[in-house]
Amino acid sequence: MNVIEIKNLTKSYGKSRGITDISFTVEEGEIFGFIGPNGAGKSTTIRTLLSLIYPTSGSAMIFGKDCIQFAQEIKREIGYLPSEVFYYDNMKVKDLLNYSASFYKKDCRKRIKELAEIMDLDLNKKIDDLSLGNKKKVGIVQGLLHEPKLIILDEPTSGLDPLMQQKFFDLLEAENKKGATILFSSHILSEVQRLCNRVAIIKEGKIVAVEKISTLQENNYKKFKLQTKSPLPNDYFQQAGTHNLIVNGNVTSFMFRGDLNHIVKKIAELDIANLWIEEPDLEEIFMHYYEKEA
Amino acid sequence: MNIFLKEVKSHRKSLIFWCIGVFLMVVSGMSKYEAYSSSGQSMNDLLKDMPKSLAAVLGFNDLDVSKPSGYYGLLFLYLLLMATIHAAMLGATIIAKEERDKTSEFLFVKPVSRNMIITAKLLAAFVNIVTFNLVTYGSSVVLMGQYAKGGDITSDIGMTMAGMFFLQVLFMVLGSAIAAVKKRPKSAASLASAVLLLTYVLSVAIDLSPNIEGLKYLTPFKYFEAKNVMYGGGLDAVFVVISIGLTAAFSIITYVCYQKRDLAV
Repeated sequence: MNVIEIKNLTKSYGKSRGITDISFTVEEGEIFGFIGPNGAGKSTTIRTLLSLIYPTSGSAMIFGKDCIQFAQEIKREIGYLPSEVFYYDNMKVKDLLNYSASFYKKDCRKRIKELAEIMDLDLNKKIDDLSLGNKKKVGIVQGLLHEPKLIILDEPTSGLDPLMQQKFFDLLEAENKKGATILFSSHILSEVQRLCNRVAIIKEGKIVAVEKISTLQENNYKKFKLQTKSPLPNDYFQQAGTHNLIVNGNVTSFMFRGDLNHIVKKIAELDIANLWIEEPDLEEIFMHYYEKEA
Repeated sequence: MNIFLKEVKSHRKSLIFWCIGVFLMVVSGMSKYEAYSSSGQSMNDLLKDMPKSLAAVLGFNDLDVSKPSGYYGLLFLYLLLMATIHAAMLGATIIAKEERDKTSEFLFVKPVSRNMIITAKLLAAFVNIVTFNLVTYGSSVVLMGQYAKGGDITSDIGMTMAGMFFLQVLFMVLGSAIAAVKKRPKSAASLASAVLLLTYVLSVAIDLSPNIEGLKYLTPFKYFEAKNVMYGGGLDAVFVVISIGLTAAFSIITYVCYQKRDLAV
């Protein structure tokens, strides 16, 4: 079943920002990454899903229901963490969370306590007095306290220290195991790589690719870097399947996709000082997508 | 219900200040009356020599200010200004503040419709203006009672307060309609006050030049003037209908426009 189904969604604001013809689906039980540089349209897409803003054209369904027509019903099962958290001044953390819980027809007191304990959040402090990271924690607890079936996170890790990020990721994985679907927007590739099953890549308001993380990683590209005793001719490794060939003195590096035997034979003929063969990280794979578009 | 309570609570402090303000306004107004009346010089003689334009701007017209009730009629104009400014700003702010304080990404992702949110907020604002009205009424009756020896003016005050109530509700929904239509929520309250002052200036202009009297339907400050409402005049049915009509129109604008527009996030 598709939890989110976005069809040709377009939102234009005058000339500049906006999204164009976005389509993708998120299946039940997935942790779906939504990745792209700042200003690519991630937040716009999410805010349209939540009917904070309305699409210029196209539509989106959540739990199989139109996200505008059935907004109120759908939102009972959505937990949302905005990229920047702002709350009512003059409220204690506890009061805000109770206010948030009062919108859902269930008793969330136990869950609030559990979450606050996991995230190490002091419920008796005033929200005004909290640091950015602690405000973010309030946002996390606020988004999860009603045990939603769909969790939408917009750049959730900014402001959290690495230890908290780890706890937060564990929390998300636990929610996911219990059956929650997660849409995780980010511009940080490593966290998406660490958490997500599939990913949609957005750039300048358009979806560039939707791929499984595993496909992205096993795309057969290998990253070669080798150091030789004497400089190589510039075109020594130049052949079909070679990309980004850089020869810098005695150090040569390139990406290769194809029959590795060809490369290994060529390397065997050389007098090498050092050799690295690595999986490219997502960053390099994404750069590949970005460059293709540019 | 939770939104309503939250809004009542968050406006409680400002409401208290406004109530203290209007109480002090009545106190200081009536103590001035005491000074005038005890000085022996008749206020009416003083006013006779005053240029008509100045008298109009200050709100002295056709009122016998030597009597406590007449003086109260004069004071009522200022109470009315205060009450309507409070109502207009409250109506605008209560809608616009979610966007201004960027809390809309909290409230509007909750399982409540925008219409329910507006209803809760307008109800909370309504409670505020009713409180303000009652406090004004109470202060006026108690303080006036000390000067109006013999003459009972409680019912006259009650009638002016009824007129004030209609205008409070009208300006409250004017404010909320502006906040609902405008994309830049920060300026909603100031725009609402600007519209209010404009209609006030128009009402003064009408006092100055009777040949534009036809414009009186455009300015709510002409609807329930003390001189017409007091002394058994009561509320003019025509203006009651206009007030209710405008209130309904602005309410519809508030609901419809807010439902349709993108929130500023």
